[in-house]
Amino acid sequence: MKKVTVQDQSTVEKVKCHAAAIGVAMKESIYPLTATVQYPRQRKKMPDNFRGYLLFDPEKCINCWECAFICPANAIRMKEAPNKKYYPTVDYGKCIFCHFCIDSCSGGALRTTKIHDVAYKDMDDMVTLTEEMIEPPEIIREDKTLVEYQIDKKDLQIKKTREVDYLFVDEVPPSVEILMVSMCIDGASCIGCHVCEQVCESGAISSAIANGVMRMKIDTDTCTGCGLCVKECSMQILKLVRK
Amino acid sequence: MEQVINELMETIMSNQLSVPVLQPILDSVSQLPMVGFIISFILWKPVFALLICPGLSTVGIVLLFFPWIERKLCARIQWRVGPREIVPWLGGLIQLVADTLRFLFHEVIVHRDAHRPYFLQFPFLSFLAALLPLLFLNAGSVMAIETPYAIQALLALVCLFPFFILGLGWASNSRFAFIGTVREAFMYFAYEISFIIAVLAMIILYGTSNPLLMADKPWGIILNPIAAFTFFIGAAMATSRMPFEIPEADQEVAAGPHVEYSGIAFGLIYVMCYEKAYILSGLMVVLFLGGGSGPFIPGITPLLGDIMGIIWFLLKIVIVLTTLFVLRTIYPRYRLDQGLNIGWGVMISLSLIALALSIILVQGGII
Repeated sequence: MKKVTVQDQSTVEKVKCHAAAIGVAMKESIYPLTATVQYPRQRKKMPDNFRGYLLFDPEKCINCWECAFICPANAIRMKEAPNKKYYPTVDYGKCIFCHFCIDSCSGGALRTTKIHDVAYKDMDDMVTLTEEMIEPPEIIREDKTLVEYQIDKKDLQIKKTREVDYLFVDEVPPSVEILMVSMCIDGASCIGCHVCEQVCESGAISSAIANGVMRMKIDTDTCTGCGLCVKECSMQILKLVRK
Repeated sequence: MEQVINELMETIMSNQLSVPVLQPILDSVSQLPMVGFIISFILWKPVFALLICPGLSTVGIVLLFFPWIERKLCARIQWRVGPREIVPWLGGLIQLVADTLRFLFHEVIVHRDAHRPYFLQFPFLSFLAALLPLLFLNAGSVMAIETPYAIQALLALVCLFPFFILGLGWASNSRFAFIGTVREAFMYFAYEISFIIAVLAMIILYGTSNPLLMADKPWGIILNPIAAFTFFIGAAMATSRMPFEIPEADQEVAAGPHVEYSGIAFGLIYVMCYEKAYILSGLMVVLFLGGGSGPFIPGITPLLGDIMGIIWFLLKIVIVLTTLFVLRTIYPRYRLDQGLNIGWGVMISLSLIALALSIILVQGGII
């Protein structure tokens, strides 16, 4: 257990600290560094990958249901449209804004906006239908100033510019792909069933018998990191690791 | 009858506020039958002191605007905005008017366990007690009751307010109010003695306790800075400003002796703290900052006459009050035992040192 003790300071040091505190107070009372964003009149600048209100483009939707499967809060339900296709609806009462749906969307039909201030009359209204997700919601813009927090080396700086923030993200910044390779983490448990070798599409896995024991060998250069072998391995001793 | 009226008029006219700039206007107005009498009555120094400065009107202005100044200043120091939404282009200047309206329309709830008559009386009585010391406070040469014992009388009346606050807590008859009241009583004993000794040191130093005579002497803060420091800390404790906001301590023990109050009764208690701060900073100005004296400004001082003294007095009060308010942003609150330790330890020692310093200065013939 650590015991917290009072810092030992001489009287001179104490007086210095008091003077410094009073100095800061005087400085701030003359040139204050107001950190408050006065919300309806000012708006904080959000990054392009801000996790806000979802927009949906039915043209790009391939009906894969990935968004509904991956949603951890079960906020996305698929509803049948007149054209016999299934499109997502989002219940914002449940949505936790993790944006896994956007990450999983292979067609790029779902995209984010910087809108975070939508009000609903009741809980039933929060279930947003597909038609409502195509167009952005109506918001009354009162903001005239854009506030940006910049963390300097020493202090927090607040930059205020007189402009109205554009709340939509037209181009999604390309995600940086992390290269993965498959790796055997427990070679002694391998039963030599050859499933991984058969399932591998790029032929990166080969088998060899050394000292009478079957050993699987993974070629890291040809492995694409698809993860099929990891899924199929009967002993679950394969794992995807960073290249 | 006529003789009595003539004598009265003579008394009133002999002690008028002299403002050379306005003299021609006042002379022409005094020719009118009734208005002239009323105006010369208001400009009679004791009545002027009661009604205008440092009395009723100034107290009203201080109570209306100083809470706003405090909130705005603390907000600026703490990177916030402060009151804003009521009249945004004035920075929320009339916030307190809005607050007063709100307090007026709230219901004053008297709970079942309260001692009803006392519970309703004490907020108003305590407000009166906080007004009484103004009788002995002088702004420049304007003073309500001129007596050679003005400082002592003022101090005695200032020491009266904690009783009313203890009364508030007692009449509330609630455990939270009791805790706040006991803390208030502890703090009262902690600051009172050293506070009185600091004033005593200044009375010894000046050799008089008539504030009108004190204004001619050099500033007390230069002669005896230790007494000024002790007095200032004592004033911060008496008004329960932030480092010694021990009785109230909103975050830990509800809100001190006045937890149970609501509506206009709470409003009165809320502004009473500022009234106390105003009176104590007035006393500080009189004792340590030369009262209504100030540098001679050619062209303005002779024209304004007595008004100039009032202006200097109010300017100094603004400085002292602002310093008291800024303490809130710099220091966190002391615990009760730390507060008592400071009161009974450091402050009494400092006040005794200040007393000794005064005696040495007087006996050594330096003053």
